[in-house]
Parts: sequence; C-alpha cells; structure tokens
Amino acid sequence: MTKALRRTQVLLAMAALGAAGMFLGTDGWYGIDIGPVGSAVLYAALWLFVVHLARYSSEVFPEQWSPAEKQAWVAVVFMALVTFHVANLLLALPDLGAEADQLRNSATRPLWINLGMLIFGWIVIGSMVRKQDAAAVRLDERDLRIAHRASRFADGALALLIIWLVVALVTLPEQSRTWLRPLIAANVLISLLVARTLVENIYTVWRYRRERA
Amino acid sequence: MSGFAVRNRIREFRVQKAEMTQAALAEACGVTRQTIIALEAEKYSPSLELAFKLARSLERNLEEVFQYAEK
Repeated sequence: MTKALRRTQVLLAMAALGAAGMFLGTDGWYGIDIGPVGSAVLYAALWLFVVHLARYSSEVFPEQWSPAEKQAWVAVVFMALVTFHVANLLLALPDLGAEADQLRNSATRPLWINLGMLIFGWIVIGSMVRKQDAAAVRLDERDLRIAHRASRFADGALALLIIWLVVALVTLPEQSRTWLRPLIAANVLISLLVARTLVENIYTVWRYRRERA
Repeated sequence: MSGFAVRNRIREFRVQKAEMTQAALAEACGVTRQTIIALEAEKYSPSLELAFKLARSLERNLEEVFQYAEK
C-alpha cells in the first residue's frame, strides 16, 4: 500500500470520526457537546483530502480503477455524508414540535450550509479526478452496463423502502404518529430519494470490485 | 447451456501484434484500459460492436478472437 493511499484512509477515518461526533451532538461524550467539534473534524478532513488529491492525484486511487469507478467512489463518500446529514435532520425534527412546520427552522438552517459545503467539495474533487484522466476514455459500454444494473437495483431498493414505510405508517399506533407533521413526512420522502442514490453508488462500486475479483 | 461462455484470445493476439499494449488497444477501440483488462480476464463479455472493433484492431476474424465454448 502506497503512502498516499494510507493517508487517504486516515483522512476517511478522520471524516467518519467527525461524522460520529456530529451524530452524538448534544447527547455527547460524558455530557460534553461534541457536535461542533465533530463538524470541524469532518470538514477539516474533507478539505485536507482536496489538498491531498491535488498533490498526489495519480496515487490516491489504485491504477486498476477506471475513471467511472473513481467517480463512483467519490459519489459513495459524498452521498454517505449527505445521507448522514439528512438522517440527523430527521432525528432532530420531531423534537422541535410546532417549529418543525416551518420551512426555515433551527434544524434545517445548518443542514443547508452543510449540504452546500458538501456539494461544493464534491464538484471540486470530481473535477480533480476528471482532470487526472483527461486524455483517456472516461466512459465506455462496460461502465454504462454497470450503471444500468445499479440503477435497476436502486429502483428495486427504493420500492422496498416505500413499501416498508407504508407498512410502518399503517401499523404505527395513532398516538405514536403525533410527530408525523407534513414537513417531516416531506423530509422522510426526500431521505428515501437520497437513500436510493446512496444504494445505487454502493452497488456500482461493489459491481466493479466483483468484476475484478 | 450454463456450461458455456464467451472465451477470447485477445491477450494472445495483442502480444503477437508487436507487443501492443492494453492502453493502445483500448484507445483503438474507444474503451478504457480497465475494460481491456476485464475482457482479457474473461470477466466481461463485449457487445457485438466492441467485439468487431477488437477483431479489427487485432487484424483477426471475429471467430478467431471470440469463441462460444465450454467454461
């Protein structure tokens, strides 16, 4: 394993730790609110990765990965972070009570800032990876076939998730459904779409890996 | 039926053709080098169009490069 690859793994572990800190938030660690620390660690790891990728672009990804596979891995990392932020919001909304009915509330404001930073980071890293393979063919029939399979798999997963959600809502006792306000239901539906995209990207990288084995 | 698969001799003909590299063959056929690796390892069956492109790049007949044979 190269030094660049090891550094990439360290940065990914750092990002995962930061995300875990954000998730624990106010419940924290021995009563200390580690949410802001987790957030700082997560975004520091992200921007260090941008610098790392700029300096060691050809060593970060293994040589046997095609350009489309590299992009799929970048997508997995960013979609996992987006899913994590959306799940965090879903957990925070029921505690807001009536405030959860407003489009702009104390839980969605930081989410939009974080999502903006993530999308910006995704664009920067995606374009750096694209530049690395500027001269080569970036997408061919094998990539398209894998993308098609991943899309079909993700559609199946989405159908299952919707069925699960419908069954859960129908079988929930009425008094347990008081948290389900219209905007929370809208956020649940958006989170299903986010989960579908994450599943699609995970399936894509798994498929590439399987075809290499 | 399930005991049969598309086999190929891409690597053999590529090496015979003045040690043509995987990258050169990939460029000639408009695919990634990783797809040539997957084809040579018989992990991927190409479309008919790509099969013709490969045969033409290797200056061979399609039947020479690809066979439908027992695994």
